Amino acid sequence: MLTLRAIRKSFGPTTAVDGISLDIAAGEVFGLLGPNGAGKSTTIAITTGLLVPDSGTVDLLGLGSPSDPAVRMHLGLAPQEITLYGELTARENLMFFARLYRVSAPHARVDRLLELVELDGRAHDRVATFSGGMKRRLNLAAALVHDPKLVLLDEPTAGVDPQSRNRILDLVRALAAEGKTIVYTTHYMEEAAKLCDRVGIVDHGRMLDVGTVSELIARHGGHSTVTVSRGEAHDRVVTADPVSEVARQFGAGGVTGVRVEQPDLEAVFLALTGRSLRE
Amino acid sequence: MMAILALAQKDLRLLLRDKGDVFFTFVFPMILAIFFGFVFGGGGGTSKIDLALVVESDARIAAGIAADLESDASFQVTRFDTRDAAIDSVRAGKSTAAVILPIAMQDGIDGLFSGTGIPMDAIVDPSHRAEAGLIQGKLNELAFRQLPNLIADGAQMAKLFDGARKNIAVSKEMSLAQRIAATGLIAAGESFTSSITRSGTNAPPVDPNDLSTEKTAKSSAKPAVSASSWSPIAVTIAELPPRLGQPRSSFDVSFPQGLVWGLAGCIGAFASSLVLERSRGTLARLRLAPITGAHLLAGKGLACFLAAMMVQALLIGMAVVAFGSTVAQPAMLAVACVAGAFAFSGIAMLIAGICRTEAEANGAGRGAILILAMIGGGTIPLFFMPPLLRTLSYGSPFRWVVAAIEGPFWRDTAPADQVMPLVVLAGIGLLGFLVGMRGISRPFGR
Repeated sequence: MLTLRAIRKSFGPTTAVDGISLDIAAGEVFGLLGPNGAGKSTTIAITTGLLVPDSGTVDLLGLGSPSDPAVRMHLGLAPQEITLYGELTARENLMFFARLYRVSAPHARVDRLLELVELDGRAHDRVATFSGGMKRRLNLAAALVHDPKLVLLDEPTAGVDPQSRNRILDLVRALAAEGKTIVYTTHYMEEAAKLCDRVGIVDHGRMLDVGTVSELIARHGGHSTVTVSRGEAHDRVVTADPVSEVARQFGAGGVTGVRVEQPDLEAVFLALTGRSLRE
Repeated sequence: MMAILALAQKDLRLLLRDKGDVFFTFVFPMILAIFFGFVFGGGGGTSKIDLALVVESDARIAAGIAADLESDASFQVTRFDTRDAAIDSVRAGKSTAAVILPIAMQDGIDGLFSGTGIPMDAIVDPSHRAEAGLIQGKLNELAFRQLPNLIADGAQMAKLFDGARKNIAVSKEMSLAQRIAATGLIAAGESFTSSITRSGTNAPPVDPNDLSTEKTAKSSAKPAVSASSWSPIAVTIAELPPRLGQPRSSFDVSFPQGLVWGLAGCIGAFASSLVLERSRGTLARLRLAPITGAHLLAGKGLACFLAAMMVQALLIGMAVVAFGSTVAQPAMLAVACVAGAFAFSGIAMLIAGICRTEAEANGAGRGAILILAMIGGGTIPLFFMPPLLRTLSYGSPFRWVVAAIEGPFWRDTAPADQVMPLVVLAGIGLLGFLVGMRGISRPFGR
């Protein structure tokens, strides 16, 4: 579906993307996980054809570069910023983009999208009056108006409340269920772990590793930690086989509490970069 | 084409929902046009109506009407020696109307019972149609006030009755019965008149107010002839005929001026629209859509063009409907409006294409355009400007749009003389679109 080969992009002395290569299969939900400034958004911009890489190639659907408008028709982008017209209503915004993309039966398509993002009740309200979460959902709907095969979601939950975040995550799951290919950038490891079939860890413009969440943890997350309590005493055991370790502890007797800490993507990021994802 | 229309519709919606843009594009020019119209002599706010009075008649009634007019609180009367001088005063906007008491008044008096009444002429500035009715009513009232004096004038009345008797004698339309009745009425009239004149100075004075128009009409005896059309007073109201190359009223001048500000408002609204697309991030979406920079430019240009046409139609319509302006050459005016809208859309696209920040666009869109509008006739009409500024105005697109609009609007310029402003405006528009295209294509990278 999407192939990036040795993409590089610099802005003056700053290298934003440093040789990133990727292969994303059709129907896959792929997460680009990294801290702010890691190069995720630049990678997305190059993927859309909005930015021309200094070197490297991008191929979408085997059709060539997305700098070609005919190729670009197959992708939809929900940028990190809210890119909507605040003085137009939700419906007018979507109708405008639908007409730009020459969508057939645009009214029906827009109605369906408004239902999908649960804004059908606010269709005729100006976007400027919406909450942050509502704007985010409409921003996402605008990316879907022409029914693209590849959907690029750049930090779609940035700055929204937990309730809106859950709605957006449900929406992404619904899109995945429809068979869309999704590239999802985030610096929230929980989102990546919940949503993505595979995750690429990005930092300083480089792709540090790519794999399923369990593969990445297995490769970089280290062992689980089993904390066993016996009265006031607490013992921590680092083990590759936490199940056997818990069984062994119970066999020894006197156990009043057990806590198992499995490694997560935070641990993976820490192992790969030497620093926390949230630093 | 659908994409261009979508872009234009979206930009027009955004314009109409921005209160500031709506004000500066539509309301502010209207206020300016009306304001300058009044400043340059449109009137309407003064308590007295300026009348240019010419007394051509030597009749006593003419002198009486003139005196009554001069003492009337509703009028500020200036006397002129000739009809032309009085009309020039109206044409110059100094007087609302010219009132002429013509030589023919005496003929009207002599044939009061057989003619078409005592004539009086009023020539009114067309932009003061509302006052025309008042002037006509007042002249009728003042003339009727003079009728008692006329009746009290024995010699005049005798002349009048003799004339009427002669007319009855030669009339072929009157039956014998009518002749007898009319002759009897004349005899009664003579008796009534002689009773007044015999009384001399001891007779009680006739209160002119007792002979108002209504009372006179009720008490008048049936006329001897032409009963259906007879009236003792005949006030003719005519509108000032336009003179080639001169405005009918100050609003003819002020509305093209206001139009300049409307077009400036369009530039201000649309010049920054591309920068705004960039700053609000929507340019990214537009660039992703299957459109080119040319589509975007055409869409925004079309929106600006339509807004410019709307403001021109609004202002010209207002000038015609509310301020009595008339369009000398409607078809050519439509062509001029199209040329003006094209030129100013081009300028807006030029600024949109070359400016990279909102500050730049606002500076160019509102600052530079403000100066160009001022030297181009936006604040002071070109014919009021000193020679140096008038020369400088050739460098302002506003000068050309004012010339293009005024030509077919009120100057009634020969079509050949209107070609130059139209060509200049078309050239400005084309240049603007070409340069703007180059600037807009850059972010599209194609």
